[in-house]
Amino acid sequence: MTPSHYLVLGALLFVIGGVGFLVRRNVLVTLMSIELMLNAVNLTLVTFNRMRPEGMGGQMFAFFLIAAEAAEVAVGLAIVLSMFRIRRTVRSDDADLLRN
Amino acid sequence: MIETLFPANDFSLIGIILALPLLGAFVNGIWGRRLGKEAVKLMALAAIGASFVCAIIAFLALDKMVSREHGYQRLTWTAYEWMHTVGGRGAGNVAIDAKFSIDALNAVMMLIVTGVGFLIHLYASSYMGKDKAYWRFFTYLNLFIFSMLVLILGDNLPVLFVGWEGVGLCSYLLIGFWYEGLPNAAAGKKAFIANRIGDFGLICGMFLLVHYTGALDWTGIKNGADILASNPSDYYQIHVWPIGGGTYTGALAFLQPKSPITITAATAIGLALFLGCAGKSAQIPLYVWLPDAMAGPTPVSALIHAATMVTAGIYLVCRLSFVFVLSPFVMTTIVVTGAATAILAATIALVQNDIKKVLAYSTVSQLGFMFVGVGVGAFSAGFFHVFTHAFFKACLFLGAGSVIHAMHGRIHDDVKSQDMRFMGGLKKYMPFTYWTFLTATLAIAGAPLFSGFFSKDEILFKAFVSKSVNPFAEQLSSKAGATVWAPPAWFGQAVFVVMVIAATMTAFYMFRCFFLTFHGNFRGWEVGRASAFRSLPADEEVDHDGDHHHEEEDLTVPGPPPHESPWQMTVPLIVLAAFSFAAGFLNPAPLTHTLPMEHWLQPVFEGTFKIGGGAGPILTRADAQKLEWPLAFGGIAAFAIGTGIAYWMYMMKDGAPARELAAKAPKLHQLLLDKWRIDELYEKTILAAVDALADTMAQVDRYIIDGVLARGSSLLVAALGHILRAFQNGVVHVYALAMVVGLAAFAWHFTTPHPDATMTEASGDYTLEAGPGMGYSFRWDADGDGKADSDFGTQTTVKVHVDPGKSQAVTLEVKNAFGRVGAKRFNLARPEKAKVLDVGTGMMGGQ
Repeated sequence: MTPSHYLVLGALLFVIGGVGFLVRRNVLVTLMSIELMLNAVNLTLVTFNRMRPEGMGGQMFAFFLIAAEAAEVAVGLAIVLSMFRIRRTVRSDDADLLRN
Repeated sequence: MIETLFPANDFSLIGIILALPLLGAFVNGIWGRRLGKEAVKLMALAAIGASFVCAIIAFLALDKMVSREHGYQRLTWTAYEWMHTVGGRGAGNVAIDAKFSIDALNAVMMLIVTGVGFLIHLYASSYMGKDKAYWRFFTYLNLFIFSMLVLILGDNLPVLFVGWEGVGLCSYLLIGFWYEGLPNAAAGKKAFIANRIGDFGLICGMFLLVHYTGALDWTGIKNGADILASNPSDYYQIHVWPIGGGTYTGALAFLQPKSPITITAATAIGLALFLGCAGKSAQIPLYVWLPDAMAGPTPVSALIHAATMVTAGIYLVCRLSFVFVLSPFVMTTIVVTGAATAILAATIALVQNDIKKVLAYSTVSQLGFMFVGVGVGAFSAGFFHVFTHAFFKACLFLGAGSVIHAMHGRIHDDVKSQDMRFMGGLKKYMPFTYWTFLTATLAIAGAPLFSGFFSKDEILFKAFVSKSVNPFAEQLSSKAGATVWAPPAWFGQAVFVVMVIAATMTAFYMFRCFFLTFHGNFRGWEVGRASAFRSLPADEEVDHDGDHHHEEEDLTVPGPPPHESPWQMTVPLIVLAAFSFAAGFLNPAPLTHTLPMEHWLQPVFEGTFKIGGGAGPILTRADAQKLEWPLAFGGIAAFAIGTGIAYWMYMMKDGAPARELAAKAPKLHQLLLDKWRIDELYEKTILAAVDALADTMAQVDRYIIDGVLARGSSLLVAALGHILRAFQNGVVHVYALAMVVGLAAFAWHFTTPHPDATMTEASGDYTLEAGPGMGYSFRWDADGDGKADSDFGTQTTVKVHVDPGKSQAVTLEVKNAFGRVGAKRFNLARPEKAKVLDVGTGMMGGQ
């Protein structure tokens, strides 16, 4: 297993997350896709850190990202909950209140 | 006591003279509606009356000063210091203060304005008695007097201009006083616009004056005026390109003269100022507003025509006489304009049926006389005619107003009530009006011993004896060291003949008007026995506001006879008639050698003659006096012939010869009735051109400005918004997709190499420097053989030499961090050497 395998895996995961984000309408699934993309980024960062092990920048960024992810999920879930209370749905198509 | 209260250099009595009419206008203007007619009348009359009293005191103070210290004297008062600036080719300090002064010239004007103005106020207090807007009328009237006083008492041109515009505004308000009638409002506008044209000239004159003389006050201009025509150098000359300074070639070349027309500064200033005078004093070509100004109430006509506004032009020429005399061309222009106006207006007045129209054209004609007077350099003679004209023309207008007032007893139509064909025989019913009107008619017609005789005769005499129009042409020529244009020697005599003809016409049309109005049989309506109508309510006090709520009456039913006007109207008539007769004795040139008026004005014009460089405009005194008597017969003959013909036509033959003449030449008669159709000519030419321009502009505004620029740009924005709104659908996925597309575009841009270089050239050596970029390496093909000179490296500049007339291609290739390569080709082409140099060497070789 060379680092390039990890990179390809990261890219695949990112694309899967991205496509999921673009095509799925369930907000919860959308959130999961975002998590997937962020994890792909984390994986890539750690891989790059392995390739250039002089500093620990990649690892550090991965930790920060995990923290950011946690915060983001908390906010996202709060939004999803309140959206569900108002619209009785978790489909993002129906969340177009700002349009009018 | 007056002198201790008001020292000569701080004569604040002027402020009181000015402030009183302004105060009257202010009080009546703000509270007039609630004050009631009596209070409004009291305020207006008291203001102007007190102003008149103060004016008399000021006049006496000046007179005392003149008799104590001889020479030019004046009383000044600076209201406040306004502006100081550097002007006149940086020569000095130009002070523009709100400063007023009284000298011999405007002291007389001041007395006329306030005195005659007071009489007209008194008259109007009764004449306008039934008007709804009584208070508004007196507000305007007081404001008018105030503006006129500012005009004549101002010590510099800007202050004069404030008054000049002020009377313009007030005349607009007063002429259009009954603004509900469309012709009245149109007449007001016409006066305003015609005056604006003149004002343009006045402003230009002011600019030129401050430029050349470095001053705008009378003393300063006088001190600087000397230079205007005397300096032979280019410095004080003005070059005029008749149609602008552009270059015209080909077929249009004839439009452009080879060199500009060169005139002296004095000529330019004089012409510009005279344009202003022609506008205000209704001379050709700007006279058209004055006859239309008859649309205003009759006291307004009297005020504008007689004493105040229209004489402002003459006043300005007199005031700045020392500028005008420096240019014989301008003086000739003034004389020609005045003479032409005098005779043209007189011909129109011959046939008019409206009593006020006759008087209006008579005013235009008389103003022509005045301009001839000042134009031949006889400033005091011209001004003397202003003085006498103020009395007799005011008397005539007020008399006409009295007649119209009487006619309104039965005829409520404004046009018909002023038509002389409905009058006649009024002598019996209106004795005061009759006798005063007769006095004023005799005065204007030039009956010997009446005031108009002396003043008109003086002008005729001076026109004849002034060697040429400008007596100073020779002096000016020698002073400037160049020939100054002068009119031919016979010019004065020709003017004399023309003016005698105009004077004959004056006598004729004035007596025609007089006979038609007061003699013969009354043609207005059936007059029943007076006793039969005693019991009727006094309906004669008709409102004059053109509000015809009366049914038009059947004029064949007998009605009460026309009535004399109340005392408020007859008293001014009597006073003015007395002055119309007596004022001439202030300057009875043919009778005596003592001329109080001329003597009084002499210090004002003394400096003028000094600047002109001559002793005076007239032949030697002895010669002049020899001619005085013989030439007086010209005026007397004009009066006798004109009056005689009028008497024969309208008294002996009862108008039959006039009707025959009109029948014989109907076209000419109609042309005269239509006032030579000058208005129509203006309409067809100037107005049509302006209208066409305005129409074009309106189309441009509608279709290009509104259509394309305003509506087009709003449509564009709306369309753009429409498109963008489609994306703002609130769906998260669409936003995300847009983001992805954007990111992809950025990625593409950053992964593509962008080769570019800046090129500098110095005599064939071209230096190309490639622009930097992330991870770029460069490769050049400088010799243009299509192959790279080296491998990719860090070389960012190349130098190439190109010979004249040759060209070379240089290619830059750039490789970025992703290994992608981009190329750009530069074509270095060096032009041939400049052709001029080649021709130069060629010619050298030829030699």
